[in-house]
Amino acid sequence: MCIMEVCNIKYSYDGRKPVLKKVSAKFELGKIYTILGPSGCGKTTLLSLLGALDSPTDGQILFRGEDIEKTGLAAHRKNNVAFIFQSYNLIDYMTPAENVALTSKLPPLPILERLGLTKEEARRNVLKLSGGQQQRVAIARALASDADVILADEPTGNLDEDTAAEITDILKECAHQMNKCVVIVTHSNDLAKQADVVLRLKKGELQTKVR
Amino acid sequence: MNFIKRAGLYCFRQRFKTLILFLVLTIISTFILTGIAIRDASVGATADVQTAIGGKLLLELDTEGHMSSGQNSWGTVQSYNGDLITNEIVDAISKVDGVVDYNSEDKASFYGAAIDFKYLPASFNLSYTSYGEASSYTATLSSEKCTEFQNGKYQLVSGRHMTPKDKNVVLISKELADYNNLSVGDKINMYCMDSDSKVKFEIVGIYDGTEGTSGNALTVDEIPANCGYVDYAMMFETFGKDYLNGYQQLTIYVEDPVSIQNVYDKVKALPELKGKTLKLSIDTDDYDVVATPLDSLQSLVNTLIIIISFVSTAILTLLLTIWIRGRKKEIGILLSTGKSKRNIIAQFFTETVMVAMVAFASSALLGKLIAGKASDFLLSRVTSGTANLNIQISAGYLLPVYMIGIVLIAVSVAVASWTVIRLKPRDILSKMS
Ligand SMILES: Nc1ncnc2c1ncn2[C@@H]1O[C@H](COP(=O)(O)OP(=O)(O)O)[C@@H](O)[C@H]1O
Ligand SMILES: [Mg+2]
Repeated sequence: MCIMEVCNIKYSYDGRKPVLKKVSAKFELGKIYTILGPSGCGKTTLLSLLGALDSPTDGQILFRGEDIEKTGLAAHRKNNVAFIFQSYNLIDYMTPAENVALTSKLPPLPILERLGLTKEEARRNVLKLSGGQQQRVAIARALASDADVILADEPTGNLDEDTAAEITDILKECAHQMNKCVVIVTHSNDLAKQADVVLRLKKGELQTKVR
Repeated sequence: MNFIKRAGLYCFRQRFKTLILFLVLTIISTFILTGIAIRDASVGATADVQTAIGGKLLLELDTEGHMSSGQNSWGTVQSYNGDLITNEIVDAISKVDGVVDYNSEDKASFYGAAIDFKYLPASFNLSYTSYGEASSYTATLSSEKCTEFQNGKYQLVSGRHMTPKDKNVVLISKELADYNNLSVGDKINMYCMDSDSKVKFEIVGIYDGTEGTSGNALTVDEIPANCGYVDYAMMFETFGKDYLNGYQQLTIYVEDPVSIQNVYDKVKALPELKGKTLKLSIDTDDYDVVATPLDSLQSLVNTLIIIISFVSTAILTLLLTIWIRGRKKEIGILLSTGKSKRNIIAQFFTETVMVAMVAFASSALLGKLIAGKASDFLLSRVTSGTANLNIQISAGYLLPVYMIGIVLIAVSVAVASWTVIRLKPRDILSKMS
């Protein structure tokens, strides 16, 4: 079913020529979406609009049929979406377990263990983990929040090929086993091949290709 | 995870920052605490001084419109033709509720030449009486209340002070006593030129404090050691009613300074004073001498507390601003997980307050150590160094420190968070990578 819908959104950084011209798309639970496109074409901008980090200049974003502008941007961030960033974005004075606990009341250890971290690693300083491990923590945090939509901005961009493949598998599992809607911005063709829907952003417009 | 737990984790894990914040807050609150303690001690001291000094009323002759000119061998002289303060009036005043003592003091009102003792010699010996040169004496009712004894210049070293009941008694200096080998209980005789009579005195007290004050005296009465104290009863008998019929002024001592106005009203209403050309006033000079430096200490400390509060808010704001700007990434993460800005500011506030709780408590210990020294230093700025304060830092002082402190912290955190918090979540995220 359609969980989130983007209707004719337009976005421009104050007064400049628009980054997004007239973008529309539909997102469903249980599917992986990748957004492809050259650097600087507006992929991160689109993702941050989906995650209510900002509002579109024009058009609207519906979550379960309701305009997120009306239900509240902070509430949308808190309840409906979870972010995963290229630079992991973990809070450095917290352990992995505490980072996960940031968004949930569920015990963080089972989630971390399911993503392949040991109990000891779950209590280590986050900066003493490898990049792949840090990204697993970030995914665990996204999953713990119980949000339906996971927004990932180049999640494998900083990782080597093997680790990237592992992370990709985890994200796939999120969509197909846990019934999340996973939206991934990426450069990686390997990752794009795993997607159920590929969205291509070009000159401010979006082309959809369902596989 | 709520903001209180996040704040706790931050304080615990970022130990170096916590330590710096702890030191800054401890220093700030020690200053404020010390200030409050000194101010309170000086308020207490002012009240003590008020009780210790007691209150004084002054009864004086009202010379305005009551002077007449007359002729004598020297030419025209102005003389007072109004009422004097009679023994009858003094009696009535002494019986008023709340009056504990009274005194009249008239310097150089009795001149006596030594018949059976010798004055300390001066450069000239004029010998204008048949018994040699005369020295001057202060006539008084209660020598203890006389200026020199009150201000501590003279101290009684043997015998006793003279009271209103005494007659034909004298207080002499130790120098004069030693010079003549006199002691308490001895009798001395003087010749009074004004009344052309001999008067016999009993020495009731000997006092110290005249040494080294004679200088290059020309006449014996310029040597303080030669000038003693005599009683008024003797004065009235020696000079007779026609020449001396009362006192020039009367100082009335009131037990409790708080009720001084009340006593003033009662004295003023005495029938013995009705229609007399006398003025009654409340004398606060002694009190002012001690209270004025304490007052200026209080305003100095008040000013210091205000300045310290401002400066410390500024320092704290600066420190927090630098730190919060360094936490943009964290703010971005928290915003992206749906924490509200208010929730994030609450975390920063809680972090600082947590450290402050401990810092304020330890400032009580530190304050105990430095408050005494600080007050001595401040007192030495506003007085000649005679006053002393009893500084105490009790748990009660911590309450205002906590209240002032938490308000200051709230202001600092609000200002320090302002620049970051007014950014959009997206700006913070794009700036944090
Ligand atoms: N905060 C900003 N202010 C102004 N322009 C920006 C800002 N962020 C991005 N841009 C511009 O908007 C365009 C799209 O950026 P972005 O969405 O980050 O691209 P992508 O993620 O596809 O590489 C770029 O041309 C970029 O220079
Ligand atoms: Mg990007």
